[in-house]
Amino acid sequence: MGYFERAMLAAIVIGAGAGFVGALVVLRRRTFFAQALTHATYPGAVAAAALGVSVPLGAAVASVVIVAIMAGIARIRRQGAQVAAGIVLTGGFAAGALLQAALPGLPVQPESLLVGSILTVTDADILLAAVVAVAAVVLVAAFGRRIAFSTFDPAGFRAAGFREWPIEVLVLGLIAASVVSSLPAVGAILAIALIAAPAAAARLVVRSYRGVLFAAPVIGAASGIVGVLASRAFAIAAGPAIALAATGCFAIALGASQLRRLPWRGRSIPVETAEEARIA
Amino acid sequence: MDLWDSLFTAFELPFMARALGVMLVLAVVAGVVGVLVNLRGLEFISDGLTHAVFPGLAIGLAVGGTAGLLPGAAIAALGAAVILTWLSRAGVASDAAIAIVLTATFSVGVIVVSRSDDYAGQLEALLFGRVLTIPPAEVVPLVVVSLVALGAVLLTLKQQLFRAFDARASRAAGDRGFVLDLVLNGAVALVVVAAASTVGTLLVLALLIVPGAVARLATDRLWLLFPVAGGFAALGAWLGLAAGYGASVGGGVDLPAGATVVAAFVVGYALVLVVAWAAGRVTTGRSSGRAAGRADRAGAAPAAARTAGSAR
Amino acid sequence: MTDRPVLRLRSAAFTHPGGAGVSGLDLDIRAGEAVALIGPNGAGKSTLLNGLLGLVPRTAGTVEYAGHPHAAVGMIGVLPQSADLDPDFPISLEQVVMQGRYRRLGLFRWPGRADRAAVADALAAVGLTELAKRRFGDLSGGQRQRGLLARALAGEPSLLLLDEPFNGLDQQNRDALIQTLRDLKARGVAVIVSTHDLELARLVCDTVVLVNGEQLAHGPVDDVLTLGNLQECFEGTEIEIDEHTLVVPGHEGH
Repeated sequence: MGYFERAMLAAIVIGAGAGFVGALVVLRRRTFFAQALTHATYPGAVAAAALGVSVPLGAAVASVVIVAIMAGIARIRRQGAQVAAGIVLTGGFAAGALLQAALPGLPVQPESLLVGSILTVTDADILLAAVVAVAAVVLVAAFGRRIAFSTFDPAGFRAAGFREWPIEVLVLGLIAASVVSSLPAVGAILAIALIAAPAAAARLVVRSYRGVLFAAPVIGAASGIVGVLASRAFAIAAGPAIALAATGCFAIALGASQLRRLPWRGRSIPVETAEEARIA
Repeated sequence: MDLWDSLFTAFELPFMARALGVMLVLAVVAGVVGVLVNLRGLEFISDGLTHAVFPGLAIGLAVGGTAGLLPGAAIAALGAAVILTWLSRAGVASDAAIAIVLTATFSVGVIVVSRSDDYAGQLEALLFGRVLTIPPAEVVPLVVVSLVALGAVLLTLKQQLFRAFDARASRAAGDRGFVLDLVLNGAVALVVVAAASTVGTLLVLALLIVPGAVARLATDRLWLLFPVAGGFAALGAWLGLAAGYGASVGGGVDLPAGATVVAAFVVGYALVLVVAWAAGRVTTGRSSGRAAGRADRAGAAPAAARTAGSAR
Repeated sequence: MTDRPVLRLRSAAFTHPGGAGVSGLDLDIRAGEAVALIGPNGAGKSTLLNGLLGLVPRTAGTVEYAGHPHAAVGMIGVLPQSADLDPDFPISLEQVVMQGRYRRLGLFRWPGRADRAAVADALAAVGLTELAKRRFGDLSGGQRQRGLLARALAGEPSLLLLDEPFNGLDQQNRDALIQTLRDLKARGVAVIVSTHDLELARLVCDTVVLVNGEQLAHGPVDDVLTLGNLQECFEGTEIEIDEHTLVVPGHEGH
């Protein structure tokens, strides 16, 4: 298998897996969380590269530590989830930059950790992404009903006697695993596009929860293919090309859904729609 | 080489003095603006602006060299501030949509940089800043940009606080929510512009978020928030620069100055958190009122409000 | 005090961009007069109040504020329907009340002595002078509601709009609010109260407006709050009138 075919395979597997988990991210509104997670895996990846251990392993360990810190800060009154994510996010980047400067001669280019380098993925990277994708499908197939219930009616879910944290831990674990496995393709900065865009696009054109879970991985894989092809055709970096392809899918879906709404929407009023609605 | 040298003597060097001067102005302005970011729950929008500025920096660098950085970033940031304000008001965009679009702009920036000769070096400079190598000619523009942001916020401060506390009543009192949001997001954008060319795009967010968060931990008195945030930010900037200098001169490790400043901020936050916890000020709870209150203020950030609310 | 009404509506309608609204409003309110706005949920009570504030467009008829087509700055005070306010927000009661002065201050001026005096008066009017320095989020629900009323009063309005001010209040705070409203009337403030509380209408208000999408009746309390009118107004809705002390001809009870 040549490097290009390998890159295509990686793009398909990672794109599909990220798209599938991304459906959970978007439906449960964990985008900022996922974004902080993608950024904060960076110091783990740098440390792993410096220590000579597997980069995904380092990123995974870092993500566990980071999730714990974020959960702790988010629970404090007057701080909250956004503050937690912001601090962890920038702290992660600063720590990564300091590590990188303090440990010269890293075998891995830091840029590849930040914006990805799909042309140099290993078989192990692809295998990891495939395992994560399959695990995500199996877990969602097994617990899908409960995840859907707790997503759309958290109060009812608690009232029905279920505890929320196992579902939350399961979903957050899947998000972390997905982030770690997408790093080789798109890097820490751009991973959120590959995770969120396919699902957000799917949600605009597909109505059902289940439908989004099917459509998002397809869009993710397609984005991967288009991105790698564009990267070769125009001689540009592959990671950003994949992220842009995923965004393109989202833009098309957005345009389509807006067009569909037009006929009966009438004259749109340039006032504070969301706020007006509440005032009313 | 001792502690005294790092903390004081080091800043007799012209480039260190320049870095300190710029960082102090920037830190105080970011601290004040950051309090409003905290009270309005605009962390997510701020993160968005840092991403949106990146292609502006990249294109500015490609077109005009380092002198093109500031204008490029300013154009991108103000454009993004207008678009983000509009998007979040119209209710068109979810947090996911914002994250996606902004990551796309970041991708554009990386692609622009990737076509240059010194891809890795330039990318790193844009991401992690170059506070120690600010040319003297750029000091004044950076300070001016920061002060414009400060002025915009101070001018509308009481209305901004009113809107942050009770958006509906603020509207009923005749305040134009869109204008207030635009001014605040514009000020955040200007801080991002000034900070992006010093501490780098990836670290800007720390300047905006950490001082505000520290102030919220330290006090419940409205008018104390601003001096606490500004003072913390100034202290963090000074200690961070001194630490970077100490490490590179004393320890022979060449640490990026932007990263040491942000590390000082984060360590400072952790210390304040511990002190607040020891003083019994750290309480946990569902705090659903905060989430609900933010949702009501969604004119600025419906997405952010949902993130804050749902992550509990 | 002139004889000119503080507020005059003639065949007025306020309509949301979405289409919902309230129409056929004919109403004169004079200084020192209190009007109860009664109708089922979704009848357009809040729409009417927001329309008077200029937050919902007027789509028919005329509105005159003391003879002018627009309300003067600071003329209208509003107590919103129990606002969702962040209990952790770092702000004192006094500072919340000061927000009521902002409209008069505009963008460039900062509060001065007259503003602080107005805040102190407003706090005294609702009986919360002692708690001025307390953090707003630490107050009880009823105290917060009274604090927000003080904010509305701090602007020294000649027309006060209250949207469901009695929802979820205990007896003590309810009594305090009723006393405050009587004091305001005595000082010549015109008041519009939207409420489900028919007893309140009897205790404080001079006239009643029944609405359900349109104005159904308007007049002195006893003339309007008849069983027939109420049945017409609340027809097909699930409002529990019996919760309140309702005294209409041939129907007494709780």
